[in-house]
Amino acid sequence: MKIGLEVHVQLPTRSKMFCSCPTEGDAEPNTRICPVCMGFPGSKPSLNGEALKLGLKLAKMLECSIPDTTWFSRKIYFYPDLAKNFQITQQETPVGLGGVYMLGDKPIRITRIHLEEDPGKIKRTSDGSSLIDYNRSGIPLAEIVTEPDISSPAEARKFLASLLADIRHTIDLEPDSERSVRCDCNISVGKERCEVKNVTGLKNVERALTFEVVRQTKILRAGGKIERETRHFDEERKVTTSARKKEFEADYGYINEPDLGTYHIARMASEIENKETPMEMAVRFENDYGMTAKAARQIISTDIRLAGFFEDLAAATDTETAKCLVSGVVSSNWKGFEPTKGSLDDIISMVRRFKEGKITDVECNMRVRCIMTGDEDTCRICSEDLDKIVGRALDENPSVIADYAANEKAANRIIGAVMKETGGTYSSAEIVSAVRRLITERL
Amino acid sequence: MIDLSKLPAINERYRMFSEITSEASADAEFAFSAKDNLTAVGFRARAGSAILEGYEPVFDAACVEKMRSAGGFLVGKTNMDEFGFGSFSVNSAYGVPRNPYDAERSCGGSSGGAACAAAVMDGHVALGVSTGGSIACPASFCGVYGMAPTYGRVSKHGLIDYGNSMDKVGILSGDAKDLGRYLPVISGEDRRDPTSCNHPPLAKKFRKLKSVALVRSETSAGVDAAIRAAEEELRSMSVDVEAVSMDTLRYALPAYYVLASAEGSTNIARYCGLRYGRQDGDLSMKFDDYFTSMRSQYLGEETKRRVILGTFTRMSGFRDKYYAKALGVRNAIISEYKKIFERFDAVLTPTMPFISPRFDEISGMSALESYRADVLSVPPNLSGLPHVSMPCGYSEGMPVGMMLTADHWNDDMLLSAAEDWQDRFTAIPPEVSL
Ligand SMILES: [Zn+2]
Repeated sequence: MKIGLEVHVQLPTRSKMFCSCPTEGDAEPNTRICPVCMGFPGSKPSLNGEALKLGLKLAKMLECSIPDTTWFSRKIYFYPDLAKNFQITQQETPVGLGGVYMLGDKPIRITRIHLEEDPGKIKRTSDGSSLIDYNRSGIPLAEIVTEPDISSPAEARKFLASLLADIRHTIDLEPDSERSVRCDCNISVGKERCEVKNVTGLKNVERALTFEVVRQTKILRAGGKIERETRHFDEERKVTTSARKKEFEADYGYINEPDLGTYHIARMASEIENKETPMEMAVRFENDYGMTAKAARQIISTDIRLAGFFEDLAAATDTETAKCLVSGVVSSNWKGFEPTKGSLDDIISMVRRFKEGKITDVECNMRVRCIMTGDEDTCRICSEDLDKIVGRALDENPSVIADYAANEKAANRIIGAVMKETGGTYSSAEIVSAVRRLITERL
Repeated sequence: MIDLSKLPAINERYRMFSEITSEASADAEFAFSAKDNLTAVGFRARAGSAILEGYEPVFDAACVEKMRSAGGFLVGKTNMDEFGFGSFSVNSAYGVPRNPYDAERSCGGSSGGAACAAAVMDGHVALGVSTGGSIACPASFCGVYGMAPTYGRVSKHGLIDYGNSMDKVGILSGDAKDLGRYLPVISGEDRRDPTSCNHPPLAKKFRKLKSVALVRSETSAGVDAAIRAAEEELRSMSVDVEAVSMDTLRYALPAYYVLASAEGSTNIARYCGLRYGRQDGDLSMKFDDYFTSMRSQYLGEETKRRVILGTFTRMSGFRDKYYAKALGVRNAIISEYKKIFERFDAVLTPTMPFISPRFDEISGMSALESYRADVLSVPPNLSGLPHVSMPCGYSEGMPVGMMLTADHWNDDMLLSAAEDWQDRFTAIPPEVSL
């Protein structure tokens, strides 16, 4: 099975790719438009240099070769959301060619990365008519095309999640919903491939591909032939349906975009100091922290932010403590955790307390889990003061006070109960001293 | 005070405007017109096409904006071949301009209305646009001066595109001095058009034309006689005239029609009756059927021909053979020009191979025959070179034009040459009686 993806990512520029309309935030339909992004006769595009710079950053991150000069092309097709009935894109000179992305140990070859403008959006209404919102028209996109190196729908999802984390890290993309990613998925089980166009989000990519695997396998088992075609993924029904047969495959009639010039990008690219790539980071982790290659990639491929946190923690405590915590409780609770500066700092100060001997390793783990998951039972125990728990135990066993006056060993009943309830959150020394102190207060 | 009271009557007779101002007079320093493919607030911009009926642009073209702020009053939008597709201004949805020397003949195209206005109206400055000769051709047919500057000299912001890599805004006038007066006004870099450039800025340096390379070509006897006389006149002005041959020129016409149609067909794609202009189709249709019906109904025959031609030349499988090859031919032609400019200040040719044809002759021409009329005016346009057409004689009572082409950014030399020529040449203005 061979899977190749074409991944579209919106680039976080403040204004659109060829005009000064804003890109951020929600707005009423058709309020963020101008003659340029509406393709009005007489308007001309001017390139937003920031889009080019972000494209080059991604090309470098993907270890692509970058041409000395680049220009844009017109891709002509008729569709109501496409304001000029052509899209300004890059055909002959993409900003990056022939790169590679490491998914763990596995290299996924990158065919190319190019820049293009997003079309508007069509909204179908219940009465069967369609409305067009051009706010999105002209927002800069990077399209990353892979070779068919992905071997399962699950791997495709893993690849996308990992790639997106790195993209976010490289160009400071806000961690917004996964729906902002759109993919064209090429898949072949046998010889002929099909393309499922415009699938939105990681889950849907995996679903659409899984559906295709089953569909193509069934046809082949029955002795049939896969037809080369473009298919559409129906999110509601979770099936793909035929959209266009090969003989009707579009001929986009590309020409060079004559309204824009040629851009000399070699210099611009050489001046870009990218943040460390994940690959580079893995090598550094091996050298600086004495990690195995596998462990280093494990942390980095989980989330580049997890890797960053590991470094902060190692600096605040020590390498061994950080390795232990990050590979243990932090990694196992990372999925579903939305790290913020505050929450990460809380974890660090908790580990410091453990290092200073103020809390046990068990309590430390529990408190970290509480910060990361917000799980109710864990947090209830963590948030309650030891004094309160002891106080409650004394309330429930008032006779202990009098017994204690006679024989100090009576305190053991309370100590045992509190230890049982807190499940090792506190050291026995802490509990013993708290119980003794509180009984004395009530005497 | 500019008296505009006669404008409706003039336009009634010559049909040079597709829209005129409703004012009867204006308090302004000078009057100018803009070709209908240049946007101007307060006027429709239809570029001669029915599909743009109703399009009221919300911004002025850069050249219109600059003329207005220099004290100009925009009297109207001049008629043209639809989107610039034509050499005789007969492909317009808004009437056909009549030649001031003979109403049965063409004004030339595609800036036919602009040349007509320049010939008929005293002190009038007409903004025209040239892609493959659309300023030089009508200037020649109407006996006026027409200058297309170096590509990029004038911002194209607000120009409704034909062949973007060749489109140039220029000026037509009955007075050569107007070219030098107003071309600097509309020139200069503009952030709204990345192809615009200002290196070096346009300044009149009064550089004299000292030598020209004369490229002989097949022309009518009348045109040939006028050019030979002009040749002698130039020599008497101490300009060296030497005949040269340019081998690549014969490839210019096919290369031009391939590139201009390829680009043009992508520009015309946006006209589908959806966002501006005509939007009165049956919206219950599927979108592609709707687009087809609107484009079939409202685009003219010549536009359809060029869209089909242009689409063909950029289809996969044909693209390398036509579009990519034409790009190479363009570079070869520029190189040959550059070699000539090492020895000469300018290239001299007739502007058109014949005088303005009669409308009955035009309707008998095949598309290819009418394309061939541009054989001399196309090469400088394809190469982005500045060129000026000047009246240089008369044949059968109709004006003959000659064209000077200079190296990139040497526009100022042509402006001086045109003024010097005007001092020596006795023009015969058309009889305009109203
Ligand atoms: Zn805009």
